[in-house]
Amino acid sequence: MRQYRQSEPVDFVIVGTGAGGGTLACRLAEHGFSVVAMDAGPYFRPLEDFASDESEQTKLYWTDDRIVDGANPLQMGGNNSGKAVGGSTVHFAMVSLRFRPEWFKSRSLLGYGADWPLDWREMWRYYSEVEDALKIAGPITYPWGPHRPRYPYRAHELNAAARALADGCEALGIQWTETPIATLSAPRGLAHPCVYRGFCTSGCSTNAKQSALVTWIPRAIAAGAEIRDLAMVGRIEADNSNLATGVHYHRDGQWRFQRARNVVVAGYAIETPRLLLNSATDRFPAGLANSSGLVGKNLMVQSNQAVWGTMEREVRSYKGPPSLAITEHWNYEDKGKDFFGGYCYMSQGPLPQLWANTLLSARGLWGPHLISEMENYNHVVGLKIVGEMLPQEANRVTLADETDQYGLRIPRITYSWCDNDRRLIDHSLAFMTEALEAVDATDIWRQNDDTCHLNGTARMGNDPLTSVVNADCRSWDIRNLWICDGSVFPTVGGVNPSLTIQAIACRTADRIKTMARRGEL
Amino acid sequence: MRRSNGVTATQIALGLAALAASSSLLDKRSLARARKYRTGEPKQAKAVYDNRILGGKLDVPATVTAAKRLNRAAGMLALSVLADSGVEHYRGSFKNKAMFTPLIVSAATLGVSVHGTADRRKAAHIMRDTTYLLAATTGLIGTCFHFYNVAKKAGGFSWQNLFYGAPLGAPMAILLSGLIGFCSERVRETPRGITPSIFDLPAGRAMAALTSVGLLGTAGEAGLLHFRGAFHNPFMLLPVTLPPLGAALLARTAAAGPGRRHPFVRWWMRLLVTMGLAGVGFHAYGVSRNMGGWRNWSQNVLNGPPLPAPPSFAGLALAGLAALGLMRDHPDA
Ligand SMILES: Cc1cc2nc3c(=O)[nH]c(=O)nc-3n(C[C@H](O)[C@H](O)[C@H](O)COP(=O)(O)OP(=O)(O)OC[C@H]3O[C@@H](n4cnc5c(N)ncnc54)[C@H](O)[C@@H]3O)c2cc1C
Ligand code: SF4
Repeated sequence: MRQYRQSEPVDFVIVGTGAGGGTLACRLAEHGFSVVAMDAGPYFRPLEDFASDESEQTKLYWTDDRIVDGANPLQMGGNNSGKAVGGSTVHFAMVSLRFRPEWFKSRSLLGYGADWPLDWREMWRYYSEVEDALKIAGPITYPWGPHRPRYPYRAHELNAAARALADGCEALGIQWTETPIATLSAPRGLAHPCVYRGFCTSGCSTNAKQSALVTWIPRAIAAGAEIRDLAMVGRIEADNSNLATGVHYHRDGQWRFQRARNVVVAGYAIETPRLLLNSATDRFPAGLANSSGLVGKNLMVQSNQAVWGTMEREVRSYKGPPSLAITEHWNYEDKGKDFFGGYCYMSQGPLPQLWANTLLSARGLWGPHLISEMENYNHVVGLKIVGEMLPQEANRVTLADETDQYGLRIPRITYSWCDNDRRLIDHSLAFMTEALEAVDATDIWRQNDDTCHLNGTARMGNDPLTSVVNADCRSWDIRNLWICDGSVFPTVGGVNPSLTIQAIACRTADRIKTMARRGEL
Repeated sequence: MRRSNGVTATQIALGLAALAASSSLLDKRSLARARKYRTGEPKQAKAVYDNRILGGKLDVPATVTAAKRLNRAAGMLALSVLADSGVEHYRGSFKNKAMFTPLIVSAATLGVSVHGTADRRKAAHIMRDTTYLLAATTGLIGTCFHFYNVAKKAGGFSWQNLFYGAPLGAPMAILLSGLIGFCSERVRETPRGITPSIFDLPAGRAMAALTSVGLLGTAGEAGLLHFRGAFHNPFMLLPVTLPPLGAALLARTAAAGPGRRHPFVRWWMRLLVTMGLAGVGFHAYGVSRNMGGWRNWSQNVLNGPPLPAPPSFAGLALAGLAALGLMRDHPDA
């Protein structure tokens, strides 16, 4: 791996190596820029470092102190943030979905949220680029939305949990399909195909899972990028000429400074605004890139409610990647809804510890009740949504007075659902209950409170007054400061975000290349 | 740092060269044999000539030679089915007792085929005949079973179920083995001087046509499963290109009428025999690409590409060769 001196300014220093930062590091390096990408977490080698053990693998999560409040405080940690080279994609569930085209203009076309400054047709091309890079295994034809090219790899075999989703959809007369996912259904290079052990959200020890760690970062390194792990960036330095000059980071027990001609923040929707706010100077007292006052605002998670039941036959839902079948019916069907936005739902496959935790936290089971319910584990079947939540300025990340192990102020995360969020959740729970009843599941119960994914807090837009960055992820205030991760989403849609984050990163890299050629950097 | 072991153009070229070389080696051996018989002989009807030579040497008429070759082809197919259904149905835990059937039947078919290959007599054998018919029937019933298995799943005849449900084409292999064996008996019992025929069709060309259809079907099956593997290795294209060409060549042979020699088609069939046998090697490599490789054989043999499947191409190509041989030795067939 190539290494750069701290004193020599690199073209780009990137903070965070997840879906946004890892992808961007790769594409920028491939375009010939010098790149140092830092991550607060370690650089794991899955074949050697990952154990088939849920507890051990909590080492992948971002579990630093954070304060949560609001009417619906978020549960932070494993379910929504990673701390490792590769970011949250190291333990993500690999579901790789495209946005519904109308969502890029949801304000003008659908009457809610905010418009994106991006055109869906251009995004369609970048989605294809990412799908090919990750060798997504997906269905031959996708039932919803405009035509997309065939997925590079074929869909995986459905497990019994996915079959239950399929049967339910057929009974209710809606379409379903195999979930496009980022794990190999055939060998690729030295990587083995998926072995269906279902450890995906604890990190995949076979390298079948395609992620920033496995797919983009090796490419980035081959193209000359440096990955600096265990490097926590505490502050971005900005000078008096409205330019960023580099980053202060903590590594090997001391603070250091890396000079850079451009700084990219890609720490995900909590750490990105936190870093920008923590980097306040006399010139930018409200934090960097924050002339709109929107940094930290419009945080959006996605609703992640579930309906669970018990089947007479064995299901063993944990065999294979957790979400092998999906229906996006309620993302594309607008009739019969009393809410804005959409949701998809997928089959589920929780590992035993997660399942015991769910039974404890959602149903309060403990002791003999928990034990007897765990005996049903092999018969459990579940459906879970990824639902759109609306952007609200009151849902936000601010700085608390407390500090963390580096002496940095920790984030306070405020979250409350709005009525629309609640209506969407109610609709989904009723519908999924019907779907489980249709396959003769018994003991059906609802998990009412769960969320996933983090987006917003540095939204992109066409107007410096109402957005933090432009369509190229470039901040309006400091022209060599960029934000390229889930934070830039103006809305979240009803699908998992990583494919869109990566597509945006690929687009941003291409735009930077074009602008560099024109001398516009 | 970028780790890739993508198959290079050189590797592909080497592989193809090896295939071509070994198949022409096969071809040379038989050409040499033919040349040995032919030296100094005036041009005359091949059948008469062969009969004389072979008759003098072994007293085996051309029909029996052809029948033996067909037995060998049927045996090769049966062996492939025995191993393949053994592995696959074991993987399916023999959930349904009927899943033992193809094992028993293909083992019996293999047995009678070995018997037939060694048998120089001119008469059909009742055991062989019955077994071959039984094999053909099993193939038909098995096909129905597999269709039913796929149809009853959510999504019906969707790609998902075609990829991962019971393979629709697999039982056809035992059907073909049975048919080839049955034809072999008809050829064998043809009296000297009479053109061997099957259901009133000239036997050589009828077999060529049947083999042609078999090759197409088998290529279809390989195509489906290699598509499932996204043709991730370029060699996976071989069984979907070479056999259909072979099928076309055989079909043309069947249509071409009597009295011709088809050296190129014979060469192509040998290429297919080589490909079918080499396929086991390729699939063995495929097994090694799974987690744990061959160290974890007990899982990966079930999980990876089926080792016994490719030889069914070899079996069919042998049948094609037998048909071509019969046409050469018996210009009217
Ligand atoms: C359990 C789980 C399952 C998921 N499943 C799916 C799924 O199936 N499909 C899907 O599309 N999405 C899924 N996601 C979401 C997806 O992983 C994230 O949306 C995506 O990875 C976010 O990309 P990002 O680049 O914004 O942030 P991340 O990928 O989280 O990367 C941020 C990185 O920045 C680093 N970082 C942050 N701050 C600093 C700092 N100050 N200094 C140095 N480094 C820093 C972090 O350590 C981290 O590695 C899942 C997430 C989780 C947690
Ligand atoms: S099920 Fe597949 S993707 Fe998931 S951890 Fe296992 S090998 Fe990796």
